Amino acid sequence: MATELKENASPLAAQALVEDYRYGFHDPENYVFKSEKGLTGEIVAKISEMKNEPDWMRAFRLKALELFRAKPMPAWADTAALSEIDLSNIHYFVKSTEKTEQSWDDVPDDIKRTFDRLGIPEAERKFLSGVSAQYESEVVYHSVIEELEKDGVIFCDMDTALREHPDIVRKYMATVIPPGDNKFAALNSAVWSGGSFVYVPPGIEVKMPLQAYFRINTENMGQFERTLIIADKGSKVHYIEGCTAPQFSTSSLHSAVVELIAMEGARIRYTTIQNWYRNIFNLVTKRAVAYKNATVEWVDGNIGSRLTMKYPAIYLMGEGARGEILSAAFAGQGQHQDAGAKVIHAAPNTTSVVTNKSVSAHGGKTTYRGLVEIHDGAIGAKTRVKCDALIMDDQSSSDTKPTMKIHEQQSTVEHEASVSKIGEEQLFYAMSRGLSEADATALIVNGFFDFFVKELPMEYAVELNRLIKLEMEGAVG
Amino acid sequence: MAEPVARKSEIADGATKRVDVNGQSVLLCNVAGEIFAIEDVCTHDGGPLDEGELMGDRIMCPRHGAFFDVKTGDALTLPAIVPVQTYKVRTADDNIFVEL
Repeated sequence: MATELKENASPLAAQALVEDYRYGFHDPENYVFKSEKGLTGEIVAKISEMKNEPDWMRAFRLKALELFRAKPMPAWADTAALSEIDLSNIHYFVKSTEKTEQSWDDVPDDIKRTFDRLGIPEAERKFLSGVSAQYESEVVYHSVIEELEKDGVIFCDMDTALREHPDIVRKYMATVIPPGDNKFAALNSAVWSGGSFVYVPPGIEVKMPLQAYFRINTENMGQFERTLIIADKGSKVHYIEGCTAPQFSTSSLHSAVVELIAMEGARIRYTTIQNWYRNIFNLVTKRAVAYKNATVEWVDGNIGSRLTMKYPAIYLMGEGARGEILSAAFAGQGQHQDAGAKVIHAAPNTTSVVTNKSVSAHGGKTTYRGLVEIHDGAIGAKTRVKCDALIMDDQSSSDTKPTMKIHEQQSTVEHEASVSKIGEEQLFYAMSRGLSEADATALIVNGFFDFFVKELPMEYAVELNRLIKLEMEGAVG
Repeated sequence: MAEPVARKSEIADGATKRVDVNGQSVLLCNVAGEIFAIEDVCTHDGGPLDEGELMGDRIMCPRHGAFFDVKTGDALTLPAIVPVQTYKVRTADDNIFVEL
């Protein structure tokens, strides 16, 4: 994520700051297959054919394409930004290599260098149970520790899951997010490729996180991964995903669909850190279902992109189910982080906590868009929503658009929202203790995001603090 | 003697027809020659289902894509949770009768 300068900054300094987006490099394009720009039934059928998919999946894709074409762009959203997307100028499928490698040494050198620069192998060695790396449309590297496989845990990419576990995929895929849910879920359903599939058998606890890393390298490319995580009764799993893309002058599109299913007593935590370059449109549908006494937690950090539209949702379907959504967003110049959370209480004694924090700076805009719904009969449901926005300067803005639909009298709903500007007194105090203005600003913003950062694994927390500091350096001077 | 609400010959296999029965909007669905009746309301957003596509014994809400089983009323996918109301159907010759 490049930081911005004030208008009177020198071009040299501006260049230095642009280079701060350290994921901005891109590799020469070297592909096995790249679809023509634009989206047709032939391209969708070709994707299905190249993947040797069963007929039902081909039919599913083609029906989704029809739905995508029929659905209008969402009128309630940032329509000005959405109108910048040229859907006919996108490569919908780019295949970078013939197969998914199990050994890091076998990954093609150019792709390996990319992930080495992003720190993936190092992260895997340190603390992960398994890792999956997706480059463009497909997963190029995948590994999972043997112990998990012995326990019956399945962690693979979605294409492999469709080949090797077609019955589970067919049973659960698109039951949480059907193709007709919204325009971009339809698009994903038509052209999905890659993404992760996780199945955790009853009673199994995956002790270390599973991780997936998504990288777009091609200009004007769309990445449409599809992730499905099923935690069977009483099991536990933590899944982490990270995303980056290079700096290009024209935009790319990332439109994922993520479905989580937590069976009775199960627990899923899903952590996302997205750090897209600022011309990526990030339009993602994430939804979870939690059955009796299950817990689902979304931990969602959004930095970068031109426009992010993402509202992780939890449907609390069984008595005693619990949901938590923690999200943090940072919008810099020319960016709009339109993020939020949705919780639907459909059973008694369900509880949820939504905490959203956003910072807008250098003319950026943040929107919190949330929904809490308590169904009739969800007696004893409790929800607490807290959203705080910090605005760094007069050019930046923030909106809060919460919706509450309460159909059960015997429930407890708390909502708290605050919007504040960074205080001169706070800055003055920190600077009087010897900090520079940049360090003081970063300290305050880091403190603002602290609730979120402390939920992350150490490596991610350190990286996020560093990114926030880089973002803030452009804010002062 | 109840009045017929529609004629079977009006509804092709795989097609639907919305009818008014005593002020209630009912959707008749022809599944492989057999007629099923559901309330013409998506339980997710309260809008009508009549412009949704019938695929076998499942109907898809035209707005957010939720699927319902027209035989049982079950909500098969989110974003719908609550089943849709079903009604008993009787046919005699070409006439369709619905019991509310």
